Order: sequence, then structure tokens, then C-alpha cells
Amino acid sequence: MLVALSIFQLSYVLLLSPLIFGILAKLEERIESKQGPRIFQPYHDIFKLLRKESVIPSVASPLFKSAPYVSFSFYMILTLVLPIITAFPLSFGPTVDFIGGGLTFGAAATIKKLSSLDSRSNYSHLGTSRASSVGALAEPIIVLIFIMLGVLSKTNNPYVINNVLQHSRSWYFSLVHWFVSASFFMILIVELGKLPIESHSTSELGMIDQAMEMEYSGIELAFFKWGGYIKKFLLMSVFLNVYTVPFWVPLSVNIPGILAYSLIHFIKLIVLVVILALIEETISKLRLFKIFDYISISFAFAFLAILAFYITRGGF
Amino acid sequence: MTVYVLPIIISAAGALLSVVPVLYFEETVSVAASSLSLLASIWILFMPGFNGTFLFIDGLSKLMLVMISAVYLTAVVFSITYLKYIENPLFRKKIYFLLLNLFAFTMLLSVSVNNLGWIWVGIEATTVTSALLVAVENDETALEASWRYIIVVSIGLVISLLSVVLIYGASKNLLLSSLFLSHNPDNLRLLTLGVLMGIIGYGTKAGIFPMHTWLPDVHGKAPAPISAVFSAVLLPVALYAVERLMQIAPFLIIKNFTLILGILTVVTASILIGVQKRYKRMFAYSSMENMGMVLIGLSLGGYGFAGAVVLMISHAFAKSGVFFLSGNLLSRYKTTLTSGINDVVKQMPVTGYGLLFGSMSVTGLPPFGSFFGELMVIYALIKNYGIIIAGVVAVFLILAFISLNYHVGRMLFSESGNPALKKMEQGRTAIIMPVINIILSFGVVFFIPQIISILQR
Amino acid sequence: MQGIFSLTGFFLIVLLFFMQWEVYVKNIIITFSVSSFILSGFLLYLGIVNEEHILLALSALTAAVRGFFIPYIMLYSLRKDTWRARESEPLMGTATSILISVLIVIFAYILYRSTLYGFIKVPEGSLPIALMLQGSFLMISRRNTFIQMVGYMVMENAIILFSGYIFPGLPFVIEAGVILDLIGIVMIFALLMRIRENTISSGTPDSYENIEELKG
Repeated sequence: MLVALSIFQLSYVLLLSPLIFGILAKLEERIESKQGPRIFQPYHDIFKLLRKESVIPSVASPLFKSAPYVSFSFYMILTLVLPIITAFPLSFGPTVDFIGGGLTFGAAATIKKLSSLDSRSNYSHLGTSRASSVGALAEPIIVLIFIMLGVLSKTNNPYVINNVLQHSRSWYFSLVHWFVSASFFMILIVELGKLPIESHSTSELGMIDQAMEMEYSGIELAFFKWGGYIKKFLLMSVFLNVYTVPFWVPLSVNIPGILAYSLIHFIKLIVLVVILALIEETISKLRLFKIFDYISISFAFAFLAILAFYITRGGF
Repeated sequence: MTVYVLPIIISAAGALLSVVPVLYFEETVSVAASSLSLLASIWILFMPGFNGTFLFIDGLSKLMLVMISAVYLTAVVFSITYLKYIENPLFRKKIYFLLLNLFAFTMLLSVSVNNLGWIWVGIEATTVTSALLVAVENDETALEASWRYIIVVSIGLVISLLSVVLIYGASKNLLLSSLFLSHNPDNLRLLTLGVLMGIIGYGTKAGIFPMHTWLPDVHGKAPAPISAVFSAVLLPVALYAVERLMQIAPFLIIKNFTLILGILTVVTASILIGVQKRYKRMFAYSSMENMGMVLIGLSLGGYGFAGAVVLMISHAFAKSGVFFLSGNLLSRYKTTLTSGINDVVKQMPVTGYGLLFGSMSVTGLPPFGSFFGELMVIYALIKNYGIIIAGVVAVFLILAFISLNYHVGRMLFSESGNPALKKMEQGRTAIIMPVINIILSFGVVFFIPQIISILQR
Repeated sequence: MQGIFSLTGFFLIVLLFFMQWEVYVKNIIITFSVSSFILSGFLLYLGIVNEEHILLALSALTAAVRGFFIPYIMLYSLRKDTWRARESEPLMGTATSILISVLIVIFAYILYRSTLYGFIKVPEGSLPIALMLQGSFLMISRRNTFIQMVGYMVMENAIILFSGYIFPGLPFVIEAGVILDLIGIVMIFALLMRIRENTISSGTPDSYENIEELKG
């Protein structure tokens, strides 16, 4: 039963993740009063790339060719261990906790960075250095957020955190929880590469993540793109299911409930996408060195969560 | 009751009347208001103490009232002649006298109310009324000095507002008369903390060591009568609040804390007097040194307290006279630099000799009242803390004496080479007022027993 | 009650973070106005729960003076003072000042726990202390006079929050006197700013370092 649900969750994520970003792109274009691409455009892109010839730099090592597949498989593993459509662990659930999940994300990102260094292209190197310097400051904050959630639930297990927040009103409405959520939302925007941080245009001035896959083409690029969609989909799901809206996630094996929830989850994601599109359309890009100020605010929120824990919950 | 509010009401009425648009009306009204409030204060001096819901008048308040109104009167009279020398003033003469009267009103209010909260309000109001007076000279430096004054003093007063809140929390009461009598024994530590914060906060306004930075800027840049009022009475008014706080909580830790602050103030100011290049800033540091001595005296109690009050009164008259005379120098020599002034004794004999005796008085030379005040403080210091600390303080007093009188002597007696010009001397009022004040600072000597008996009553 | 107080305190702290982040003076003044309205709302709630009419009056006065009147005056004098519209050279970077603000909140917590908590026994009392220290930090870290003024008023707001929650019943006349003085200081401030602009026409108005007469 759990294996079947795991396969269902995997296919749910793999198939739906491009659609979410198609909707996001369409929304943004509509807000700018443009026609915009169809919402299925990401699928077309991936299929087109799968059929194209791939060109590999002559100086690149074998790592360059294998990196997209490795990182894609990391994301598939993550799909199996995070609470996406169920609030109870599926068959692979017990393998890693929150810290392990974070490390897997980090491993995928590291492989991507190594491969882009391997391509010996200046633009890729630029993107890598930017992504590394942002990541070096953002990742300690993610650790801080995990620690605060550990304080909240006395465990590092995302499923337990979801259950605690679903049941305990006092935790759900506590300042600790909402400061952590605010901090994670700011980090989420950094990870999604949305506007105050990164602008997706053809100019290299605003590129961070986009620049790293500059030398890829064909099937490798398709896997990188698809992996990127999955990564963002997972982060958004974690943000919704673990941090902000932990409700309605099925707590026991109940096929109609899980099917219904997978629809609800899609609606939750669309609401989040609308919010992201609105932010994207109202805010202008920060200058590159201002990103660190932005991250410091996120750090301040995470730290205020700790203080709120001590001040309102007695601490000491 | 009615007698005790007279000085406050008269100065407020003077402030309101001085905006009446009649030629020279504001000067007449201000002189009348200040003389009347001086008379009322002297009358209060012979009345018994008063303790009501709004006012609290004891010996210290009476002496403060007399001191404030006397300096107020001389400052008003001196302003009438001095304002002519300010080119391009910030506002018209009527507004100047309005603010000066209001300034005196807030100070008179602060020393007679029976509520810690109102003392805070009054002292904060002195900041509001005096900030513009500092900037009368209307150049960038004056405005900057005024801004520094507002910001530094306001931060200090925020600390004392917190202290008012803490004292209220500790005793659920802010009336001085009942705070003197009893304390809730459970909350003594909170009370102590509140009083300590209050001493730091009001100490800012009095130019006490850690937050004294605004003081030389303001005294150096304000016009002479305003510098005189600041140095002679505004700083003592802030110390009055400190003294009230110490009377509320006469604990050893508070006394020691205040003593340390006082000694640090004396040490800092004495060292800084020697390196000043501008005479008004030098006199400002001398005020700071005197306030340090007063604070030491207040912390000791007994003889020290009486000595502190004598020193405060004598310093008020002497220092206001010195600042008036420095205004005469500035208006004739057109420079604030000590090195730019030579041969004052020949060029302006009355100003020169007045300055000589005045600077002797503010540094505590024997015939003047401040000498006896400092002597009493030092005596109490020896009795309570031994000869070593008293010796350190005395050494720095001597250092201040030498450096101030060296600079003043150089200004007065150095040869400039110019032939003596009699017409450099100021008009009659401009020299009579400071001379009267300096004579008064000598005259305090004869009233020391009376001052002590008023304080003890 | 306790929850509402924590919420108010933390919200005001977050607004101060925003002030540290912001360089445009207008936005900082508006943020201050918002924080005063929040303070006023808290006092209103406190007054209704404790049935203290003094707090209701204080709430109305806070909203009228700190929320509306003072920001209005400051915005009005800012409009005539265009070169002060933004902080041109802050003393330290935004990230540094935000991190220092966080450290201040921690410091205030430790300070409060080790000193005042022993007598007051209110666990959230460190929030107003943190606000006060942050207000003074805002004054230190900026050169713009308008922002320094806002920092001063943030400190006073913190004391109102502190006394309103922890020692309710501070005599109303005193609170009224405090507010009157605040009005006076802001008026003087606005006046000084105006005069500076009118009389000082020469190039760089913020170059205070060169005032020779205020040295020593």
C-alpha cells in the first residue's frame, strides 16, 4: 500500500511540477497585460529539448555529462521522503530526517555547481560564485529554522512537525511559529529565484541560477530544467505543508482522502503561486550586494523566533 | 499657598505680556517680572516651609528660588544691552524675552513642585524653552550646538523618565513628601535602580561626567546672558532633582555611585580646562568642575550638603558675572579665541578686574563664598572617606585653579602694544550687572550660618 | 493579555528593523506613525480589559499626537527640506545595523533577566527595553536629523509601552506633560530645520566635522 502511494506521490510531483511554473509564467504575463505562453509551455520545452542534439564542451570532464542525471535522481529521492500529499511517512520516509533532507538538497546543488565549474565558461563561473555567496549566508539560516522547528516539535521529522502544527492551536498561533514561517518565506524566495533576488531575463546582470546551466543543451538541459521544477515544487510544498498551512493533510491511510487532498494541495500551490506572482510584479530587483541585507532580515526573523520562544514560553 | 506660587505665576505672566506689541514693552515687563519674582522669593525665604498636594517648599527650594530669580533679574537687565551686539539674530527681541521668561518659569516650577513626574516635566520643558535661545546668534555653529543640546539632553531625560516609571512601580506614588517618609520594603531594589537611572539622567542635564558633551558646545556658542543662566542656575536645577532622588533613597550604594560620578566630573573638567583654546568653553568646563564638587557634597550629606549649597549659590553669582564679562569681551574683541585677547586691564579696566576677581571666585580663592563651600565639602570628604580621596580631589581643584587663572591672567595682563583706548569699555549697565554679581558671590560668605539654618529648618 | 503584549512588542521591533533597512526619511516617519497607532491600539485594549479610563484617554492622546500630529509636522518640514529626503551616508551598512539590532534584542533580554526581572516578574518586560535600546541605536547609526528625532520618539514610545503594561496607573497629568514636552521638542526641531535651510545656503549642509568652534 505504502509503495503504491509512494509511486503515486512520485508521479504526482514529476508530472505536475512543470504545470505549476507554467501557470506562474502565464499569470505574470497576464498581470503585465500580455497574452503570455500557454500554461503547458514547460512541457513543450522539456519535450523539445529531449529530442535535440546535446553539445558538450571539449574541455569538460565526464562529470559534466552525468551531473544532470545525478541531481535529478537526488530530487526524486527527496520526493519520496517529504510530506507532499500524506502526513504519515511513506515507505522511504524513515530514511532521512529534516537535516538529511537539507543535506540532500545541498548535495544536488553542489553537483550542479561543480558541473558548471567544469564547463569552463565565464558566465557559468559568474553564476556559480553568486549562487555560492548567497547560499553560504542562506544555508545557516535554514539550519536555524530547522533548529526552531526542532524546538517546536522536539524532533527533526517533518511529519511530526506537521502533526504538531495540525493539532496544537497554541503552537500554530505562536509568535515562534510565525517568525519561523516569515524567515522561511524569505529564504523560499531566494531559493525559487524570484524577483527581489533574481530576474529572469536575457541580461547576465541579474542572473544567478540561470547562468549556471549556460553551457548545457539537449537532453541534459531538459533534465536540469525538470529537476529545477521539482526542487521548487518540493520547497513550496514543504513551506505549505510543514510551515504555514498544515491543515487537511491526511493523517492515516485513506485512499479517497489522499486523492481529495492531492487536489487540495494543487489548489494551495496555486494560491501560493498567485502570491508569488503578485510579489514578482510589484517589487523591483535588489542590487546584488543588497541581497545580503535581505538575507540579514531573514536571519533577524529566525533569531527573533528563538527570542520569542524564550520570552513568551518562559525559556531559561 | 498663594505666596509660594507667586514667583512661578509672575514669571509666566511676564512671558505672556512680553509679546504685547508696544515699543520697549517687553523689556519693561521682563525687568518688572524678574524683580517681582525676586522679591516674592525673598519673601518666601522668611516664610515657613510648605507641603501641599501640588507644591513642596523646604529650605533647599527656597534658596533655589532666590538664586534662580536673582540670576534671572541680572540676565534680563544684561540682555537689554547685550542684544544690540548680535548681528542677524534668529528672532525678534520680543520672542527672545518671551523665551527667557518662559525659561525662568520652567526652572522656578521645577524646584517648587511636589511630584517627581512634574519635576521631570519641568526640567524637560527647560530644554524646550532654552533650545532656541542657544541658537540666537544664528550661524551654522550655533544651530549645531543647539541640535546637540536637544539630542543629548533628551536622551538623558528619557533615562530619567524611565526612572520616574520605575520609582512609581516601586512605591505606587510620586509625591515627594510621602516618598521621603516611607518605602515599601519589598521593592527597595527596584527603587534603588530607579534612583540610579534618575541620577544618570538628570546628571546629563547638569553636565555630570559620562554625558557632559553638550555642555561646552552650548556655553561656548550661546549669547552671554544665556550662557550665564545655563551655567549659574540651569545646572543646579538639574542637581536639585538629583538631590531629591537621593533624599528619597539615602542608601550607601547611591551615595557611593554619586560620589564616584562627582569625582570623575571634577577630574575630567579640571584636565580639560587647561587645553581649551576658547575662553567661553574654558569657563564652561569650570562650571562642570564646580557641579562635580556640588555633586560630591550632595552625596556626602551633613556638612557636605551645606557646603554644596553654599558653593552652588556662590558659583551661581560668580559664574553669571564671568559670563556677562565674557560677553563684553566678545562684543569688543570679536573673537572667541583666548589667544586673540590681550591687555584687557588697560583697554577695559572694569571688565578686566571684574574678570580677575570672578575667575578667582569660581575657582575657590579664600575670600569668596565658593572657597568656604569647597572647604566644607572637602572636610566632609576627609571625615567620611579619608584623606587620600580628599587629597586627589584637592589636587585636581588646584590644577583647575592654576590653569583657569593662568589663561585669564594671560588675557588680562599680556601686552598687546596698542595704546590704551578708553572707549573700548562697555556702557554702564553692561559692567554694573556683572560687578554686582561678583560682589554678591563674595557676600555669600556673611550668610553661611543663615543658609545652614534655613537648610536645617 | 500577555499574548497581545508580546505581539505588540515584537511587531514594534519588526517595524524598527524596517526603519533600519529603510533609507528614505518619509517612509521611516510613516513607519513611526504606524508604530504609534499600534501602541495606541494596545493601550486601548489594555484600557478596555482593565476598565481604566486613564488608559483610554492616553490611547486617544497617543494616536492623536504621536500617530498623527508629530509625523504630520515632520513630513511637512521634510517637504521643504529636500536634501534631507534620504540618508545619504549611513554610518554602517544595512546588514550590519540589522545584525546589531538583533544583538541588541538579545542583550536587552539578558539585561532584563539579570536585573529587572527579579523585581517585576513579568517575562515579556524585556521587549520595551529592547525597543528603547534600538531607538538609541537608530539615533547613533544615522546622521540624518529627522531619523535621529524618530529614534528619540521611539525611545519615548517604548517607555509608554513599558509603563502602560507593567505599571498601569501612572498619573495621567504626567503622561500629558510628557506628550506636551514631546510636542514642544518636535516644534523646536522643525523650526531649527527650517532656519538651517533658510540661513545656510553654502554647499554641504551635513559636513559637521569642520565646525572648528565646537572642538575640545
